[in-house]
Amino acid sequence: MVNVIGYGIICAIGNNAEEVLSSLKAGKTGIGPMHYLQSSHRELPVGEVKLSDEEMKRMLGLDEKKVVSRTVLMGAIAIRQALEQTLGSMVNGQWSMEGKRVVLINGTTVGGMDITERYFKQMQTDDALLPLVEKHDCGSATREMADLAGLRDAEVCTVSTACSSAVNAIILGAEMLRRGEADIVIAGGTEALSRFHLNGFNSLMILDKEPCRPFDKTRAGLNLGEGAAFVVLKASPDPSKGGGKQSPGVSPVYISGYANRCDAFHQTASSENGEGAYLAMTDALLMAGLKPRDIQYINAHGTGTPNNDASESAAIRRVFGEDIPPVSSTKGFTGHTTSASGAIETVICILALLHNFIPANLGWQEQDEDCITPVPLQFSLKGKIKDSLPLREGRGGSILCNSFGFGGNDSALVISKKTAPLQPSPEEGGFKVQTLGECIIDNVEQLGELRDFVSPGEARRMGRLMKAATITSLKALRAAGVECPDAIITATAYGMLETSEKFLTDMLENGEETLSPTLFMQSTHNTLSSAIAIRLGCHGYNMTYTQGGDSLEWALRDARRLIETGRARTVLVGCHDEATPMFQAFLRRMGKPEPPMLYSRSIVLSATNS
Amino acid sequence: MEQLINDLKLQIKEALNLEELSMEDFDENAPLFGEGGIGLDSIDVLEIIVLLEKKYGIRLSNPKEGKAIFQSIKTIAEYVQANRKK
Repeated sequence: MVNVIGYGIICAIGNNAEEVLSSLKAGKTGIGPMHYLQSSHRELPVGEVKLSDEEMKRMLGLDEKKVVSRTVLMGAIAIRQALEQTLGSMVNGQWSMEGKRVVLINGTTVGGMDITERYFKQMQTDDALLPLVEKHDCGSATREMADLAGLRDAEVCTVSTACSSAVNAIILGAEMLRRGEADIVIAGGTEALSRFHLNGFNSLMILDKEPCRPFDKTRAGLNLGEGAAFVVLKASPDPSKGGGKQSPGVSPVYISGYANRCDAFHQTASSENGEGAYLAMTDALLMAGLKPRDIQYINAHGTGTPNNDASESAAIRRVFGEDIPPVSSTKGFTGHTTSASGAIETVICILALLHNFIPANLGWQEQDEDCITPVPLQFSLKGKIKDSLPLREGRGGSILCNSFGFGGNDSALVISKKTAPLQPSPEEGGFKVQTLGECIIDNVEQLGELRDFVSPGEARRMGRLMKAATITSLKALRAAGVECPDAIITATAYGMLETSEKFLTDMLENGEETLSPTLFMQSTHNTLSSAIAIRLGCHGYNMTYTQGGDSLEWALRDARRLIETGRARTVLVGCHDEATPMFQAFLRRMGKPEPPMLYSRSIVLSATNS
Repeated sequence: MEQLINDLKLQIKEALNLEELSMEDFDENAPLFGEGGIGLDSIDVLEIIVLLEKKYGIRLSNPKEGKAIFQSIKTIAEYVQANRKK
């Protein structure tokens, strides 16, 4: 079983768990006018962490002039808080966990983008700024964060499934603990506001100029937020086997169920019946051995966009029928903290469970027949804010936390005060893994083959790497004789570098208007995995690893875990990366080897029949 | 009007990367969305909104407003003619 033994959080409504708890109970939002982000879109309200980069560096004991991504700073602060709860204090700036296998798993999408966008133009001519190139990708941001947080010796891993990244980080951590691959896991996510992703979401026309109103009839989009949250996880012995006694000071909270599924519908929209969300919730409950009526509160993904909230409501109605537990989205407090949101909301759920209250759904006033009815802020007759409602009575003391992402990367967690042994047990299965098919593309000229698989109409929006990944995936599947795999796992160090670079260049040269949504929607690392899922109609497990040169190894480990435990018979693993002339020039100036312009390798793994 | 329709066809072809579509096949009265037409989707709507702002100075802040305007190249041309700022 997986025990939460510490948690840390920093977001728009507080710089630590205590402040967050007090804002939640007081119904106090953290969304407001832009203060730290330097964007021309002053009309857009945001949920900023109320600290400057310099203040955060001081908190971490860093030189204020050192260039460090805000994503890294917030993450390091949250990790330190989480470890302080369990370990007390650091020795020489590092946590002492000798003899323990410690793994840090981070969910992020922007990585060091805030730094890249600030220095991008100068980097093209000024050699002194070149080291920043190596701080851009998500994996190196995680590595730097581990060092600053006092986890220099920890193994690090980064997952990137857009807005569900942090929940998938927690799911991976729980899996590793259950399989005995680690002794301590620190898992969560961090994401700073950047002009890149503010403008990206703006190009999709899903940002509201007013404070967001999740599930309200008049809702008109989301407000972006930022922050970080991490939980410290440890495997606890099964009580039926004589274990389960709490060590003193350990919070009695468990990750008691989880599921990662794919909506496989559209790159930036959720399906009408919320299939991915429905599967994620249903399977998380199944794993926890719980019935829908056992859930005391649902922390919804609830972004405030017309599409998400209607789709999520449809899915909740499908799972819970007439007996829907109290639901709220806490994004009216924090804004949508994208990749970090799953961890921020996990910590909010832990606080709700430990302090027995339902966080309010700020901004909700008018019922929408397409949406569930959330728990609004409670007012007295005199119009004063009243205390939050207590959690609904429930058997196990359990909360469901939803976290969905672009591309239909939908995940759900069950967080409980008590837990039964999770289903299936990690030892079950005992299957062996074999390779059924493989395909590699390392040359742009090979992309002509796309015509054999995809119509020109479908291909017109695909970037180069997407084309390569599509060909190798489909050819590997054909060689394996597999039509639709049970799971899709992608490894990519930089993701769709070409489209990201185009969007960034356009934004910096032509300003923050009239930017292309097509470029932005391809810039998230999980685009490849989810596009293939959409093409194949694959609703199973869908994951993207972005840990530099280690990404493929992480992806293969994950595939083996799924197959050996019998949760997947066939898994499509892809390793896809590309370079651009500008990126190659950066590395040339640094005296580093130039990466290939294009590399895509797909492998189909399966359980052996013996 | 004919000139505007031709300009729009070329601009939309370029913005949406519709290389395979010949100008003869690009009928200004054909429905842009749904079955039996050009087959565009919601992301294309956003790209056309960007195009109208860039080329004609027209700002649409809600993609829903676009529904009536974006039925065909003809309806877009009529809207542009009535509302263009450049």
